[in-house]
Amino acid sequence: MAIVLEKVVETFYKNLEEGKITGKKCTKCGAVEFPPVYACNSCGCWDMEWVEISGKAKMHSIVMPAPLSSKPEYKALGKFAYGEIELEEGSRLNGVVRGINKKKRQEILAKGQLPVDVKAAIYQRDGYKTVVFDLVEE
Amino acid sequence: MNQTKVNKYLRSVSIIGVGCTPFMYTVDKEETNGLTDGEMFGYAALKAMEDAGVNPQDVDFYFHGEASPLNGSNYLTPNIQIANWFGMKGKASIHHSEACCTGYYAIEEAVNAVASGKYNCVLSGCVEFGDGVAVPGHPYKREKMTMERFLTTTAWLYDRAYTRSLMAGQELIYDDAAEWYKRTRGITDQEMDDTLNWMCINNRRNASKNELAIERTPYEDIAKEKGFDNVMDYMRSPYNPKMGDFLRAGGLELKCDGAAAVIVCATDMVDKYMGNKSHKPIEVLGVGCAAVEASNPHFEVRATEEAIRQVYEVTGVKPEEIDLFYANDFIITSHLIAAEIAGYLPYGEGWKYICEGRTAYDGDKPINTNGGRTSFGHAHAASGLADLYEAVRQMRGEAGEGQVKFTPKTTMLRGYGGAQNICTYIIRTID
Ligand SMILES: [Zn+2]
Repeated sequence: MAIVLEKVVETFYKNLEEGKITGKKCTKCGAVEFPPVYACNSCGCWDMEWVEISGKAKMHSIVMPAPLSSKPEYKALGKFAYGEIELEEGSRLNGVVRGINKKKRQEILAKGQLPVDVKAAIYQRDGYKTVVFDLVEE
Repeated sequence: MNQTKVNKYLRSVSIIGVGCTPFMYTVDKEETNGLTDGEMFGYAALKAMEDAGVNPQDVDFYFHGEASPLNGSNYLTPNIQIANWFGMKGKASIHHSEACCTGYYAIEEAVNAVASGKYNCVLSGCVEFGDGVAVPGHPYKREKMTMERFLTTTAWLYDRAYTRSLMAGQELIYDDAAEWYKRTRGITDQEMDDTLNWMCINNRRNASKNELAIERTPYEDIAKEKGFDNVMDYMRSPYNPKMGDFLRAGGLELKCDGAAAVIVCATDMVDKYMGNKSHKPIEVLGVGCAAVEASNPHFEVRATEEAIRQVYEVTGVKPEEIDLFYANDFIITSHLIAAEIAGYLPYGEGWKYICEGRTAYDGDKPINTNGGRTSFGHAHAASGLADLYEAVRQMRGEAGEGQVKFTPKTTMLRGYGGAQNICTYIIRTID
C-alpha cells in the first residue's frame, strides 16, 4: 500500500466530535496504535487501517494529582488520577482516570485490585474533545 | 519496545580535559550579573583545553549544547554566536538540544565524531541560563526567569498532537518512577518518603564538599536552625512540603546558570595532544541511548532499561565493575531507579543503601558525589557535563574534601530529559 500524506491527527479529533474513539490497526500483525500514528511500532508495517476502539481498558498504576502535577483547568475533571492504561486492543498509554481520589486509591491498593477496569470516555476541553477514562465500579 | 544493537567504535576515544563553571544564579550577584553566553561557554571550553594540554588550534570541531537557547539566550543558532570567543574562529560546530539530557548527548556526539575517524580532537560544551534569561535588545543584561515563564517553556517539551491533550504524560514526570518503584518492590509509603528524603540529604552532604555547587548547607544544619533535633523530622515537616504525590520540594532541581565542557581525542593520539600533562586519559567504553515519548507508560524506566542494556552489551562491562554512579536527578527519584536498573545497587535493596547513607560520597556505593540536581544545581544542558567533570576529578583523585574513599576506575553516568531521552555511558581510566 502506498504511503499517504494524511491528516491523521485532525481525523482522530473529528472522529471524537462524532462520538467515535479511533486508532489505527496494523494490517500485518494486528497491533493497534492508540492514539493513531502512521506506522506500527510492533512490526514496522505502515499499512494501517482506521478502527474504532471498544473503550474497555485496564489501569495498572495510580498516581494522584498534586500541586506540581495539576492545572487549574483540570478541576473540571472532578476527582481523578493518572496512570498506565492498557486498552483491550493492547495499546498502552498514560491516561487520566476519573472517579479516583486518595481514599479510593487506598481501597484499591489495600484490596490488591490492580489492575482495575476502566472505560474510555470523550471529554470536552477548551476548543476540542479528548479521551479520558472512567473507573468501572463493581 | 523496539531495541537497538550498538556496534563497537571504529577506534577508541578518551577524555583528556574537562572544565566547569560554578553553578550560579548569575543575576543575584554583582560579580556575575550580566555574564554572557560567550563568557560562560568560553570559560568552560578554555578550562577544558588547559586541562587537556591542548591549544584551541589543536581542536578540530566543537559541539554546543543548550536546552532552551531562544528562551535563555535569545538565540536560534547559539553555537555560532559564541564562535569568536575561544580561539577557534572558522572551525565548524553544531548546536544540539535534548533538554536536560543535552549534556550527556554531548559525549555521544563528540565520541562518535572522533571514533568515526573524521576528527582527531573535539570539544563538546554546554551552557544554560536556567535562572537569568537574556533581556532582548540589550547586549548583556539578564533578568530572573519567573516560574510562570519556566512552566510555559517546559510545556513545549511535550507532543502537541496527543500528549498535551491527553493530560497525563507531562504530569507523570514527577511521580511515575516513585509509584513504579514502590509497587514493584513492595515498600510502604513511609519507606518511599524516607528514601526520597535521604537522597536529598545525601546529595546535600556531597554538595557541601563541592565548591562549584549552588546549595552547600547540609540539611542537618538547616533542620537545627529551624528548631529540629532530628533531620528527618525536618524533612517530613511543612518546611519540605509535598509538591507531588510522592515528591517533596527538596527533591526538585535547583534551576540555575552554568557551563561545562570536555575535550576528547583518539586514544592512540593522547601523547600528541596531552604534551606534558601527567593525568591519565579516561576512555569512553561505550554509550547507550533510548527515547520513550512521555505518553508511554513508565517512560523513564523503559528508556533507562534499554539504554543500560545497550551499554553493557557493547562494552562487556558487568554491573559489579561500576565503582561510581551518576544519574541526572532533577526529579530525585531518578537517582534510585537508575542505580537499581543499572545493577549498581541490588534489585529491591537500593532504597536501603540510600537510607543508610551508603550512597553519599563517603559511602561504599557513592552516587552523584557533586550533589546532583537538587544541590549542585541544574543548568539544564550543562548538568550532564558537570557530572562528567566531577566524575573525572574523582577518577583522578582530585576531588579534595569530597573525594570518595577509594579511587574509582570505572564510572557510569545516566542522562535523562526532554520528554524523554536517555543517554548512558561507561568510562574507565587507562592505566
Ligand atoms: Zn504491525
